Amino acid sequence: MTELSVLQAVRLKGRVTPADLAVTLGDDLDGITPIVEQLTESGLLVDGTALKISPSGRARLETLLAEERSGIDSATIAAAYQDFRAVNADFKALVTDWQLKGGPAGKPNPHDDAEYDAAVLARLDDVHARVVPIIDAAATQLPRLNAYSSKLLVALGKVNDGETAWLTRPLIDSYHTVWFELHEELIGAMGLTREEAARSGDAQ
Amino acid sequence: MTRVARGNGTPENHTVVLLNGDANLPRELLGNKGHGIDVMRRRNLPVPPAFCITTLVGLRYLADPKATMDAIWDDVLDGMSWLETDTSRTFGRGPRPLLVSVRSGATHSMPGMMDTILNLGMNDAVEQALASPEGAAFAHDTRRRFTNMYRRIVSGESDPVPADAHAQLRAGIEAVFASWNSPRAVAYRAHYGLDDRGGTAVVVQAMVFGNQGPNSGAGAFFSRNPITGANEPFGEWIPGGQGDDVVSGLVDVEPITALRDEQPAVYDELMDSARSLERLGSDMQEIEFTVEDGKLWLLQTRAAERSAQAAVRLALQLRSEGLIDDAETLRRVTPAHVEALLRPALQPETRLTAPLLAKGLPACPGVVSGTAYTDVDAALDAADQGKQVILVRDHTRPEDVRGMLAAQGIVTDVGGAASHAAVVSRELGRVAVVGCGHGVAASLAGKQITVDGYEGEVREGNLTLSAWSETDTPELRELADIARRISPLRAHATGDHPRMDDTSEAAVRAALDTGQTDVASETPLIIMLTALRLASQVSP
Repeated sequence: MTELSVLQAVRLKGRVTPADLAVTLGDDLDGITPIVEQLTESGLLVDGTALKISPSGRARLETLLAEERSGIDSATIAAAYQDFRAVNADFKALVTDWQLKGGPAGKPNPHDDAEYDAAVLARLDDVHARVVPIIDAAATQLPRLNAYSSKLLVALGKVNDGETAWLTRPLIDSYHTVWFELHEELIGAMGLTREEAARSGDAQ
Repeated sequence: MTRVARGNGTPENHTVVLLNGDANLPRELLGNKGHGIDVMRRRNLPVPPAFCITTLVGLRYLADPKATMDAIWDDVLDGMSWLETDTSRTFGRGPRPLLVSVRSGATHSMPGMMDTILNLGMNDAVEQALASPEGAAFAHDTRRRFTNMYRRIVSGESDPVPADAHAQLRAGIEAVFASWNSPRAVAYRAHYGLDDRGGTAVVVQAMVFGNQGPNSGAGAFFSRNPITGANEPFGEWIPGGQGDDVVSGLVDVEPITALRDEQPAVYDELMDSARSLERLGSDMQEIEFTVEDGKLWLLQTRAAERSAQAAVRLALQLRSEGLIDDAETLRRVTPAHVEALLRPALQPETRLTAPLLAKGLPACPGVVSGTAYTDVDAALDAADQGKQVILVRDHTRPEDVRGMLAAQGIVTDVGGAASHAAVVSRELGRVAVVGCGHGVAASLAGKQITVDGYEGEVREGNLTLSAWSETDTPELRELADIARRISPLRAHATGDHPRMDDTSEAAVRAALDTGQTDVASETPLIIMLTALRLASQVSP
């Protein structure tokens, strides 16, 4: 478990309990306790009812991310990001159709039409099949990103087993939660801030 | 010419119809827009000449595009000749070129869902001809508007726009017919339960120009206020604009009172026309109009969409003006309207008197108030202290989710209705307005605001929700009094009658079937409106 992985996970979660942090890092509590304690002692993390990142932790994280980016092939990352944008649009349309019936201005989906719901969920396999090679390509430069493939696969498995909360529920590593964090990672890997990505019409 | 001018004959012949005031064909065939234009022409109101390609053709087009277009093309050309004669202009060439709009027109209005192309019939020669009397700026602006719209709707961004005006016309008509099956139109019909098999008509109308010179512009005029139901004109005016500017949201729109100040005679004529159309339709009208160099033109009219408050107040006003009878008054108000009014909500009067701070896309419905926080940590701390918090962000990041959960509502600068922020807010059940524009979040910081997730608005202050009541609100009491005179089941707020607390259709039907005439209820009006609807279904 690296300092970078832990700081980035805490930052992306905002505030997170040690138990949830262990889950998202694919470890158990005992496994992450030493590094969490060390980061807390050095003031990079703040321990309260939940862990959060401190201003100095955020600065340290920016340094580590910049080091990680130095020397990577930016063309590979740029290509992966372009590919991601297309599949991102389709995934968000899928999620919107899951939440609303009748398009973005539609009514909440009461989930009383099994056929409709099944047709929406059926599109997730295609989205997943398209996003995995994109992560693979990006991970040739940033191996840390491989973790997102595994987490997406776990969420996909739960959705396909009928636990549909794992499609969109916030605060668990649902498909959308992991996707949202992956999107943030790719924006960062491009060396863009979210402001810059937003200006190009793509932080949505 | 006479062949297409006739409104009679068998329905199979009704393919291309001149809207000269004696078409006299049903709305189902002409579409809502074509029907409205024909009605206005019959009243000698100032409407640019137009002809209609009927919904019958629209349906045939979807099945067999080429054969359908070939079959009607001579009639379309005849219709164009009539427009040329009527306007003393020529299509596709000078010295006085005719430009046309090609508009969709389904039987039921689907606002903004289908395509319309303005300023069609434009090429180099036409632009030059327009420039000589009206000025190069006007000609250039009109050309630009046409090219953008044609590329967006017909040809695609990269393809050249044909110079042949008739080729533009044919492709434009085809694009409008095809837009019946555009994803957004299909979704709209599915959402509102409209018939997929209706098809659209196409209206081809001579252009008038709101972008021509100082005393010109375009707008939308409501004969009464569709939000509050107050008997006062309401609407929008865009000096120097064309009709599509009204819906684009890209230009500054002025209230209709600006037109009254700028061109009082035009405003008075518009008011008179609106009153006349109101009497004709026995309902509040929404009129799309253009002013070209000080001359008023009406482009279309329809019964306006309205809030529940407006539905009740307008029904009572029109009744007291003698335009509708008791039964029609009660048909204009649905049980769903009354149910909505009885729920706590931001009343239109409250909403419209509070300053509007931002407007965006409604992403999750509801109305909430609180203090605006731009910083997630500060928002979380304030929420921990029990404060009402609205999280206002330029855009949302993954780490904002806990802040969104702690907040009552969410406002963002950027993001569409399918953005991560919208997805998460719906999942958390947090009222959200997204995509308000750059800099909005910063401008809201620290203010007391109310977020309206129905209207997509942010307004100043902690606005209070309130509800109407059947016992206390005069409008509902008046409606109930009218209903007790004609309803087969009389419902009373008090009195020695059997209690009826279940207001469902099944319960009301059961009461009618068992011959009940009087019941007591918390919501007598809802029961009687339901009873009247059921009775009219039995004996139409």
